[in-house]
Amino acid sequence: MEKTALVEQLKTQIIEALLLEDLTPNDIDPAAPLFVEGLGLDSIDALELILLLEKQYGIRVEDPKERRDALQSVNAMADYILSHKSEG
Amino acid sequence: MHAYLTSTGLISPQRTFENDFSCGLQTEGAAILPAIEPDYRGLISPVQLRRMSRILKLGIGAAQLCINNAGGLQPDAIIVGTGLACVNDLEIFLKSIIETGEQSLSSIPFINSLHNTVAAQVARILKIQTYNNTHCHRGASFENALLDALMLLHEKEHKQALVGGIDEFSMHYYNLLPAKVVTGEGAGFFLLSHLPAGKNSVKISAVRTFYAPGEDFIARFLAEQHTPVHQLDAVLLGMNGNPSDDAVYHRLIDNFFPPDTRLITYKHLCGEYHTSSAFALALAAHSIAAGAFPAPAVFKPGKSAKPQKVLLYNHYQNCNHTLMLVTG
Repeated sequence: MEKTALVEQLKTQIIEALLLEDLTPNDIDPAAPLFVEGLGLDSIDALELILLLEKQYGIRVEDPKERRDALQSVNAMADYILSHKSEG
Repeated sequence: MHAYLTSTGLISPQRTFENDFSCGLQTEGAAILPAIEPDYRGLISPVQLRRMSRILKLGIGAAQLCINNAGGLQPDAIIVGTGLACVNDLEIFLKSIIETGEQSLSSIPFINSLHNTVAAQVARILKIQTYNNTHCHRGASFENALLDALMLLHEKEHKQALVGGIDEFSMHYYNLLPAKVVTGEGAGFFLLSHLPAGKNSVKISAVRTFYAPGEDFIARFLAEQHTPVHQLDAVLLGMNGNPSDDAVYHRLIDNFFPPDTRLITYKHLCGEYHTSSAFALALAAHSIAAGAFPAPAVFKPGKSAKPQKVLLYNHYQNCNHTLMLVTG
């Protein structure tokens, strides 16, 4: 899957997983930080995003430093997924 | 032990969230009475609303309505009674445990599945870090929460207690019921104080719970309160339409209450659930303040004086029996 399509898919999955009912995919800036600023997500959301990576993409992120980097933004999530897919 | 009612907040199958206690919504023939919910965006911030399950919205919405009706007065204790608590999210969480083999569990249904989630979330939102308790005692849950509040206020270490009764409808639980009755849900919160809020404050004079009591428990309760049965201006009975449950009330109507007793029923308006007596208390308090009961709740008109001394009697499956004496 190309990154652009993956980013759009992730936006929809994030809205669904985090119950962001008032948002549409267009409201999410893929380059904006997911936590504190941007969507203003918190630690419970981080857990849900890790689950999303595991359930939807089969990727387990064990290392805390790697988690932080992978969940910086929607773009970062997409890059992380693509890099792991290419490794696989 | 007693307490004064400062304000109420009730979300129920009637439009009570607007303080409309006319109980005019027709419920005849319905098997399930869902709560009519307000627009929560006026009561709960969107950020907090996002992760809330329905029972949390019901409970926190009703608590916030109660605080708003008290002019923003803050309680120093939060006590909730609930029979099944967050049962729907508990079902989701247990189901996901089975389906995933205890792996990769989402945290949100877990957070929302605990019995004390509503009391905890109310405390978090109101920023009240003092006494916080949740009582789960089947059909006497709300009354146990009230008793807890009365004892706290009696000790005078707390001045205002926010007491709630909450339960949500669960289709799974409904399917397990041996005898189907009109089933409802609701969240009622009451701000109680050790001092009257004004000249016309409604007083909760006494609350008592019983498990499978003997014959004379109501007579003994009234004697302890120095209230002869003929002095009662009205009696609220928890009739639910199930002949075997209602037979308990009919025996009292035939043999104990004087023939001119005004009889009020409410479960055709709110449905049967473990904490339906929170609906009854709100209805009684509102009717005492208004000087009359709404017509749809009147089972037998009886005496016509303005209600001042009102007895609330409810039982749940003829096991948990509860009494409250409420006075104007």
